[in-house]
Amino acid sequence: MVRTYVFPGLLALAVFSGLLHLSIQYEIVRAPMGALVLVFALAGPLAAYPAARLLPGGVLAWLGLAVFAASMAAGFWIPPALDWLPLAGVFLAYAGSRARLPESDAAAFWGWVFVWPALTLMLIWNIFPSLFALWISLFDRFNYIGASRFVGLLNYEILWRDPLFWRALSNTFWYVVLTVPTGILLGTVVAVLLNERIRGLGFFRTVYFLPYITALTAAAAVWQWIYHPEFGFLNWLLGTPGLDWLHTPDGIFALALAPLGIQLGGFWAGPSVAFTAIMIMTVWHFLGYNVVILLAGLQSIPVQYYEAAELDGAGWWQMQRYVTWPLLSPTTFFLAIIGLIGAFQVFTQVYVMTPTGGVLNDTLTVAMYLYNKGFRDSDFSYASALAVTMFVIILALTLVQRRVLERRVIYEQ
Amino acid sequence: MNSRLRRFLGRFLIYAVLGAGAVVMAFPFYWMIATSVKSPQEAQQAAPIWFPERIQPANWRAAWRLGAAGDRPWWGGFAPGRTVTLEVFVERPDAGAPRARIPKPPAVFSDPRSEATRIRIEPANGGWEITLENTGGQRFTTLPLVVWIPKAAGRFRATLPPDAVRSQRGYWRLEWENVVPGWFGYLFHNYREAWHAAPFGRYFFVSFFTAGTQVVGGLLIATMAAFAFARIRFPGREAVFLLFVATMMIPGEVLLIPNYILLSKLDWLDTFYALIVPWLASVFGIFLLRQFFLSLPQDLFDAARIDGASYWGMLWRIAFPLAVPGLVTYGIFAFLGAYNALLWPLIVTQSPEMRTIQVGLQAFIGEAGSDYGQLMAASTMAILPIVLGYFFAQRHFIQGIARSGIK
Repeated sequence: MVRTYVFPGLLALAVFSGLLHLSIQYEIVRAPMGALVLVFALAGPLAAYPAARLLPGGVLAWLGLAVFAASMAAGFWIPPALDWLPLAGVFLAYAGSRARLPESDAAAFWGWVFVWPALTLMLIWNIFPSLFALWISLFDRFNYIGASRFVGLLNYEILWRDPLFWRALSNTFWYVVLTVPTGILLGTVVAVLLNERIRGLGFFRTVYFLPYITALTAAAAVWQWIYHPEFGFLNWLLGTPGLDWLHTPDGIFALALAPLGIQLGGFWAGPSVAFTAIMIMTVWHFLGYNVVILLAGLQSIPVQYYEAAELDGAGWWQMQRYVTWPLLSPTTFFLAIIGLIGAFQVFTQVYVMTPTGGVLNDTLTVAMYLYNKGFRDSDFSYASALAVTMFVIILALTLVQRRVLERRVIYEQ
Repeated sequence: MNSRLRRFLGRFLIYAVLGAGAVVMAFPFYWMIATSVKSPQEAQQAAPIWFPERIQPANWRAAWRLGAAGDRPWWGGFAPGRTVTLEVFVERPDAGAPRARIPKPPAVFSDPRSEATRIRIEPANGGWEITLENTGGQRFTTLPLVVWIPKAAGRFRATLPPDAVRSQRGYWRLEWENVVPGWFGYLFHNYREAWHAAPFGRYFFVSFFTAGTQVVGGLLIATMAAFAFARIRFPGREAVFLLFVATMMIPGEVLLIPNYILLSKLDWLDTFYALIVPWLASVFGIFLLRQFFLSLPQDLFDAARIDGASYWGMLWRIAFPLAVPGLVTYGIFAFLGAYNALLWPLIVTQSPEMRTIQVGLQAFIGEAGSDYGQLMAASTMAILPIVLGYFFAQRHFIQGIARSGIK
């Protein structure tokens, strides 16, 4: 039925014309706005006419459509304070024809009315900005301070040859590769043990969970204190006075293999001691999340499987290996995906613990490099190119992860 | 090995592993709280001090009495006309009288505290009584004190243990940050200092207002959209839903710069709008609530429809009250996210008046320098509201997080 599309169409026109007027008023987009205003001014009456033919309306419906058409046609010449008039016209038209509208038309109207607030916000703050990020990454130093010119993919080319970017990327890579599996493995161990019908479950769960809800900023401050070179607790515990954890740029693999006479450099030296310290703090912080999710996953495994395994004479370890681990795999997989996406964007704890990116940028992450480029150096274009690259990498890794890991996931029927 | 022994060993092992893990998990909290009640000298020890002076009940009594003598027993203070007596016991009182002074803050020309306080030192049995009298007309919140005791006097002990003891030629230099503390003023000394060192009250207000508005606004918007996706058949529903799903793949970093530019064009930088509006629509919340609405029986809505309820009425009268668990989950998530966020508020705010607690804490880390007692006190304050909330609504927190993991 064509009539079902009347209200969605009118609502969309009203919202988009409102957005257009706002963007003109605040000079948000540089585009041939006159043409767009004209298009919307014509579209209003053009849409109102068939609507008037299709709707089984009375006087009120006609009035509503008239308000809609008139305010749309008036377009840019009505004051900004009255930008809601077309929308009011549509509501009036609905109120006037409501009594004689079939169910499906009412649903079409209300469905869109309910969705538009969220959709408008998403368009303004998520969807258009994503496209805009892609767009400004094609310019040369787009920052409203000086003139910028279109340079195509130049920013990406510079990025490709930017040693700091590669440094940040390799740091982030190690971060993802080391924290995500560690967190999931430790989380599984804790969750399995917590699931053994122990006493004090609530207590243990609280203790493991609390770090997750504490703010990363505060947690990072505490760990910075624990890692303090002179008065830190860790140095006392390990008997390594004076070891400056957060300012030691040596790679941990290089340090571990140096006694064997193997020299590692660059990427293969691994994450620095400082970055490893940050990773330990991160695993501590996120472990509780993994534990709670895995515990929920464990509790959803039907007990019959364990009973069957017990009848077959399986021991505790075999049960965990052949029943729990496979049946938990959807949860583990979910955590791997979420963890990868989250870990790739790591910023807060690194920024708090090593505000300058560490010694020799040994704790610089991609998100932090983006922050530095965008908001310290005011190079919005280059930062946007970084952001887009980051998006592509995350997307690619997620897809690879899906391909590789999902084949091993066992979904219970 | 018989099976009972094996079972016992197995249980023992479980508790041992869990217990060891729990110690590691809980230790940073203990260390934070312990440091937050330490004096700088206690914090800066090579070997850790497990039970700082300020959490020992014996000292609380002294602090209470000194505070009461100065002004009030809980929070202390030094009111005009009051006299406070601190006793210092020494091994050999004949080695010479101690000296005492109210230290001036550095680089201050005149300090009313030291000028208004008259100090008398008299011998008492086994030591000395240091009497401080406020001769001025002004009330002071705190009163620092420095006392020099000749080293020849041997071991010494004071009614209120000094916050720092240093060696200065032939004397021990005893320093008190506050000799009129009162019980809370003693225990929470670092908290009070941190609270006054930065506008934490304002930071908390900004954080709570931002997070609260985001939760309320976000709930309304997400509920409407989720209800439409779950319960209303309208043309374009699948397409819009797909669009929403697609936005979930965009990492937040991509939006930082465009949204910053947009906010600057709207002239919204450094306002509450910048902190709240971009985060009002949450795809996660819409998903979560949609699942909830989908799980409600269709009969409910059919019946309402027959009774002539509009979609608007169905949403707010039927679906909304039944979705309360989902709403609570989303509310907790949104609040946590807003309260704990650092990157976004860091970018869009400049003035101290618009700092959220996390940005304020981050700035404080830079300013507090080496005063780790105050820094840990500030950190404790920053996480306290969430931790308290957790203990009040533990079940909702756990279920909420668990629910987010179930597809």
